[in-house]
Amino acid sequence: MVDIRLNATINGRKVSRDAKPHLRLLDFLRDDLNLTGNKEGCGAGECGTCSVFVDGMLVKSCLMPVAKAQGATVDTIESLAKSGELSVLQKAFHKAGASQCGYCIPGMVMAATAALRANPFADREEIKERLGGNICRCTGYQKIFDAVELARDVQNGRLPATALLETDTADGDVIGKSVRRIDAPSKVSGRLKYAGDMIMPGMLHVQVLRSPHAHARIVSIDTSAALAMEGVESVITSADVPGKDGFGVFVHDQPVMAHDKVRYVGEAVAAVAAEDALTAKRAVAAIKVVYEQLTPVFDPDVAMREGAAVVHDYAPDNITKHIPIRVGDVEAGFAESDLVIEENYSTQAIEHAYLEPEAGLAYVDHDDVVTVVSPSQNITHHRHMLARIIAKPISKVRFVMSPVGGGFGGKEDMIYQGMLALLAMKTMRPVRLVYTREESIISTAKRHPSRTNLRMGVMHDGRIKALAMRMVCDGGAYGLSTEGVMRKAAILAAGPYSIPNVRIDTYGIYTNNTPSGAFRSFGALQTQFATESHLDIIAERLGLDPFEIRRINAMRDGATTHTKQTLGSVSLMRALEAAEQASGWEAGAPAVRGETRGDLGHDDVRPSVTLGTRFAAGDTQEAAE
Amino acid sequence: MLICDEYLTPTSLAEAFAAMEKNRGRYRVVAGCTDTLPWAREGRAGDVEIPALIDVTKIPELNERQVGDRRVRIGAATPIQRFLDDAALGRAMPAMPRCAVWFADDQIRAQATLGGNVVNASPAADATPCLEAHDAVVELASAQNGKIVKRSMPLRDFITGPGKTQLAEGELVTGFECDALAGFGGSFEKVGHRRSLVISVVCLAVMVKLDRDGRVIEDTRLAIAGIRPVPRRLREIEDLLRGKKLTGALLEEAADMPLDLVQSRSRQEYRRDVVRGFLVRGLIAASRRAGASPDALTQELEAAYG
Ligand SMILES: Cc1cc2nc3c(=O)[nH]c(=O)nc-3n(C[C@H](O)[C@H](O)[C@H](O)COP(=O)(O)OP(=O)(O)OC[C@H]3O[C@@H](n4cnc5c(N)ncnc54)[C@H](O)[C@@H]3O)c2cc1C
Ligand code: FES
Ligand code: FES
Repeated sequence: MVDIRLNATINGRKVSRDAKPHLRLLDFLRDDLNLTGNKEGCGAGECGTCSVFVDGMLVKSCLMPVAKAQGATVDTIESLAKSGELSVLQKAFHKAGASQCGYCIPGMVMAATAALRANPFADREEIKERLGGNICRCTGYQKIFDAVELARDVQNGRLPATALLETDTADGDVIGKSVRRIDAPSKVSGRLKYAGDMIMPGMLHVQVLRSPHAHARIVSIDTSAALAMEGVESVITSADVPGKDGFGVFVHDQPVMAHDKVRYVGEAVAAVAAEDALTAKRAVAAIKVVYEQLTPVFDPDVAMREGAAVVHDYAPDNITKHIPIRVGDVEAGFAESDLVIEENYSTQAIEHAYLEPEAGLAYVDHDDVVTVVSPSQNITHHRHMLARIIAKPISKVRFVMSPVGGGFGGKEDMIYQGMLALLAMKTMRPVRLVYTREESIISTAKRHPSRTNLRMGVMHDGRIKALAMRMVCDGGAYGLSTEGVMRKAAILAAGPYSIPNVRIDTYGIYTNNTPSGAFRSFGALQTQFATESHLDIIAERLGLDPFEIRRINAMRDGATTHTKQTLGSVSLMRALEAAEQASGWEAGAPAVRGETRGDLGHDDVRPSVTLGTRFAAGDTQEAAE
Repeated sequence: MLICDEYLTPTSLAEAFAAMEKNRGRYRVVAGCTDTLPWAREGRAGDVEIPALIDVTKIPELNERQVGDRRVRIGAATPIQRFLDDAALGRAMPAMPRCAVWFADDQIRAQATLGGNVVNASPAADATPCLEAHDAVVELASAQNGKIVKRSMPLRDFITGPGKTQLAEGELVTGFECDALAGFGGSFEKVGHRRSLVISVVCLAVMVKLDRDGRVIEDTRLAIAGIRPVPRRLREIEDLLRGKKLTGALLEEAADMPLDLVQSRSRQEYRRDVVRGFLVRGLIAASRRAGASPDALTQELEAAYG
């Protein structure tokens, strides 16, 4: 490799350094200069976490080879807060609450800075347009746009600088008040260190070999060529697990790395720790695995049939969990109903797409405590599981939760922390693993895809007499949170409605698909999508307003749920009223609405998206100018 | 991940060709890198090791721009953003600023080059229908026996299929020569899943020139992409419109011509609907910007398609 001698002005300082020719500007800034404020959310130009100024122009540094910065002036998020004093925009983000996990925020602040430099008077539409290259997954964009508008007005003198400060709230009087987040300054300045931003002296870089097959027996793994490579410190496989291998939120059915067989495409098979990530990558490519293909099963309904391929020996019927609920006599309920309606519903797998891809760091400290730092949403549980896996007393295992750059349930599973711990123990050096976006999508849990059959018996006046639901979910190759998701799905399946006769069965099924796991709403979405859609269909059939049928059946204070919980207070009626008002709902059965909808077209209904506000002024007669 | 042993940034054509000759069979040309870097990732080409990357963005010839009365010449390394910054260029190519504002996002189009967009030859490449509407000619250069040899060919011959062009081994695109269409009103219609960072499901470039009174279509150019392997000029529609009085009925007649344009494998019906709507909307917008007489187009038509 021929290094590039890079001369540039970075954050106001002259830099003259050798850089590897294949580095992107982002790698050079983060890895070589330790300017980790700007992040790598996707590495493909899609998210904007890497946005920096090059010669005053905002670019995505993940799409720019470092050589292009030769002679240039580069400014990163670190350049904005001079000696720790936040810029007006950063203060405005703080004030407006425009930071949640914070992972997107440095890029957002950069894009906002560029927008107001390009047009100090940009209106909200133009701000939206100019920030179009940056994605946020948790704050939501409104507060971000609010922040940019606030900063614009302060900069232009339309608002006083005090508008950026905390509104006075009396001590302790915070409920219902807009209070600034105490962790926001670290996020708007890019100073907060996520796991992928952390470094330790002597740290090794980890890469993972993943299965190309959905279901295959591992005949042999030959790591000798990889181990022989210069710069490679260690290669581990399932054979390196000293204790009882297996993790999972309910059943411990998932090995740290595939053991004997692989069960989904993307499953970890081996891991390498090397002096740099490129060497680790090359070593991964040098590992030889011989597989013997097994028949895979991809459809949960097929997996439940007699004779289907078995994913886990302990569950020959491929059932991870079945949750049955029985209340009253459902058949009698249907018999006394005026109308019985049956429909099928399905939902698909969904990726959480938190902006921070999985990352973690592990080391063995001076007292032999195996320490794992990662954005885990469940460190205590992970600690207990890891102790068993590495055969150490719990006092010798520590988990540190690094800032979570978005989780949404997707970081509850101990997918990679085991590999990190094993490599740290083998090498006795700190090790770090940072997933690429693709790796995150390929290998980590998704929301359970579902198929639901639902029957409801109702009276002409809208009262529900009976509900029978059977939902089959694709749990994928490992259990993870499936059991809990099936429980919650079943518990909430009948919605907040008083129904005398209920039969619910939810099934989580093993297949050779990507595992399903925890995801915001945790099963409630799948069953309630069916129940609520069903109520709309029934409302239409009965000629009732959809709000009305819900009110007729709503649980009231003191109601008992179908899982026998007594509810002291139920806010459903208030929630319905608020929703009805906020939506400008036009009362009536769905079927009676004509072509024109009175509840659409209000001022607060979002208009369709357009681009080109910056042309708006000269929209006519441009050619004649 | 794109891995190279050497990253070369030649500052003249001669230097570039020398580097290409020296690394024959083991190099790849890059410009803005906005197609190349995402391509070298898992799920697409994966990790790619290329001994030499040759960056052509610092070659002066590839950065030149000349806007004449009849022809425009644009260097291949011109970033898409220039069509928004350079007013003279925008006037001579009236659909291009509208194309540029929909192109990727503010940041990527500062890097993404016109040459890269054409050579990458994606069926959804947004700049290609605009260039096609300008009767663009692709200028190519290579080195033979130490001498720089140039040739050129129409864009429509140069792009032969998805990802396929007539670019020869050892050859570079130096620039494009296009009709200067100052005085035309331009529009660019594009639809995808969201506002920014979006691959066109359909995109259409429209330019219209009207008579002094803004009532008669003197000339027009239309080209469409995203719905077939290569961009397509819509000469049938141009012929129908040229010399006619601008009316809503005429524009709808144009949109209803039975051209069977959609050759995509997916979402054909949707695309057909979009194409019809885009033709009317694009023609209305371009006519308005060309100074259409206020009473030429009915309000209802504008409301329906605006
Ligand atoms: C997030 C994102 C959004 C995008 N949005 C859009 C969009 O909205 N519309 C759109 O059309 N495209 C879009 N693109 C694609 C891309 O940005 C464009 O195609 C861009 O114009 C490519 O130019 P480049 O200079 O970056 O190409 P490069 O990646 O540098 O090169 C592309 C190809 O062209 C070749 N090449 C480049 N210059 C020359 C030359 N002078 N001579 C010979 N060969 C050459 C290279 O060898 C390579 O094969 C998007 C890309 C990303 C990552
Ligand atoms: S856009 Fe660069 S990391 Fe996502
Ligand atoms: S705050 Fe924007 S991604 Fe989390």
